Formats: sequence, C-alpha cells, structure tokens
Amino acid sequence: MIKLIKMPKLSANMESGLLVTLRKQNGDDVQKGDVLFEVETEKVVSEIESEEDGKLVKLYFREGDNVKVDEIIAEIEIAE
Amino acid sequence: MGRKLPDWLKVNYNKEAVDEVSHLMADLKLNTVCKEANCPNLGECFKKKTATFMILGSVCTRNCRFCNVSNGHAAEVDPEEPINLALAVKTLGLKHVVITSVTRDDLADGGAAHFASTIEAVRKYNPDTTIEVLIPDLEGVHEHLDIVINANPNVINHNIETVKYLYADVRPQADYERSLHVLKYVKEKAPDIITKTGIMVGLGETDEQVYEVMDDCLKVNCDIFTIGQYLRPSENHIELKEYVTPEKFEEYKKVGQEKGFKYIASGPLVRSSYKAEEASGVFNKEK
Repeated sequence: MIKLIKMPKLSANMESGLLVTLRKQNGDDVQKGDVLFEVETEKVVSEIESEEDGKLVKLYFREGDNVKVDEIIAEIEIAE
Repeated sequence: MGRKLPDWLKVNYNKEAVDEVSHLMADLKLNTVCKEANCPNLGECFKKKTATFMILGSVCTRNCRFCNVSNGHAAEVDPEEPINLALAVKTLGLKHVVITSVTRDDLADGGAAHFASTIEAVRKYNPDTTIEVLIPDLEGVHEHLDIVINANPNVINHNIETVKYLYADVRPQADYERSLHVLKYVKEKAPDIITKTGIMVGLGETDEQVYEVMDDCLKVNCDIFTIGQYLRPSENHIELKEYVTPEKFEEYKKVGQEKGFKYIASGPLVRSSYKAEEASGVFNKEK
C-alpha cells in the first residue's frame, strides 16, 4: 500500500513551508520515527517524522522548494 | 524564498503525537498556549504528552506586539473549564501542570477567581500534581492577586517579557514597574510560593539591559528566571532584530546564576513553561 506524505500544517497561520533538507531519498528504507525531511516555517525548522515503516518510492519536490500545506511531498510503500 | 533561520532553531514534529493531544484538548473544549501562540516546542511537548493550558478563552483584551494570541472581544468564561482542565491533567498523567490565560481586563477581577477555581479543581482530582500558574498582571490589584495567592499554587509566574527600555514598543499596554510589583507582592504575601519570570531576547536589547532586568527581579526575590529567543509570528508583529547565539544564552545563564537566581533556564527555544517541571523540581528537592 502506498501512503502519501503531505506537507503538514505546523501552525494555525501556516500556508506553506520551505523544504530545506530531504533526509530520505528515493529507494531508502524508512522506519517509524525516522526524520523524512526538514521544513522551515516562520519561527523554526521542524524535523518531520515518518509515521510508518516502509520504503520511500517517490519524491515530488527538491530541497529549496516552497511547498503548500497538504501538497504531496513523497510516497512511502508501507511494509506489509 | 531562501533559508533564513539559524541551525539551532530546529525542533521535532510527530503528527500522531500532536494530533492525539490536540484531539484531547478539543474534546474537553480546552485551549493551549502552545497552539494559540504557535509555540515552536509544541511538537516536542505534545510528544511527551505535556502542554500549557490557556484558560479564560483564546481571545486577549490586550494586543502585545510580540504575541500570536488573537486580540479583540473576549469570550464568556466557561464555568466547566476548571473541571475539564483537571480531567485533562488526569488523562495526561501530568506531574506538573502549567496554567496560563489571556489577559482579561474586561472582567472585574481580571479572571483571578477563575484561576483559583482551576487550581482547586486540579488539586482535587490530581492531589500529587504540582501546579504552576503563569498570570497576567491583574493590573497589579492586590485583592485580585490575593485570590490567586490564596489558592496556593506551587509556582506563580508572571513574565516581565522584555527589558525596561523596550516596553513602549513591545508591551505598550503593560508597565515594567507594575510587573515587578506583581512579583514582589506575591513573594511578600506568600514566601513559600516559588516566583518565576522571564524575558525574550533578540528585540534589540543590550547585555547591560538584560542584566538590569535580572537585578530588578532579584531585588523582589524572584526565584526562577527564563530567557528565550523572540520568534516573530508574522510580518504584522514586532520586528526581530537578531538571532541570539547559543553561546550568548549560556553567558546569560552563567551571569544569572552568579547573580543569585535559584534556577535559570536560558536557550534559544526556552519558553517560560518549557521544562517547567524540571525547574520546579529543584525546589521540591530542597524541601
């Protein structure tokens, strides 16, 4: 099963975030709790954790891209 | 848009943990200052299942230029809020709870009686939980402060927020001397209650001005002092002048300890209620 990883709304005012670092790349194994990427918003840089075990199979953005809330950043194939 | 924040302003975010605490608060019709003030530590604190409750609604009657909490016409006081908050403390299993509020200059007692009811409810349902209240200045009125003092929380915190010289710009509806007086009065009236205050830095203050605030707070026998980086919530808020380095925060901490605070927390992401349990724990060990 594929899980779509979207840009989270990190604060009530947030409309978009800067994808500063991709900590996982295409093909990387991912465990629950691993940091997938870092997002800079108005106040801080947030390390976004994976909620699933699996494999990252697709990335929709590159480092430095500005991503709107709820836009899909990545796909994770969830381990059965 | 390029990267603009320094490396040391990095926090963790776990959606599952944030959603869990957020849903509990929504179910019990409770507000947290974590969410309303867009606190950078929300992810870390909610992951540890801790939060700072904000009572008396989510709309403030003042409009401080650093704060993300909405201002305007404040809501009716919810009489069920004290018990709901006490139940949330129980559900989360908190050993130490921090309760703050919006400023309610529209209420006759500034919300003091509601603070007292909340303290009493928390104690009734959670007798082993230590209670810290982070109060507005209650306009410095002794009778109103007495209501909170008589409810006997373990810690009374009132934030001085910034150096004296920046009050007109940062807290135009507050008064530096009045805030100091609040801390002084609480300590004189109830020496056993731990007093606490804190400031934000990065608003253009000098080291000497920071040390002057420390001296002024020590003169009124304040026990705990916190220092954190001001982070601008939006372009409509007061301008951030600089990102203070972790080394400078360490220097502030060292100076504060040497000056005589019993506990001082100083760091870029320190907020007045961040790791409050650890701060108040120092005093429990002394007892």
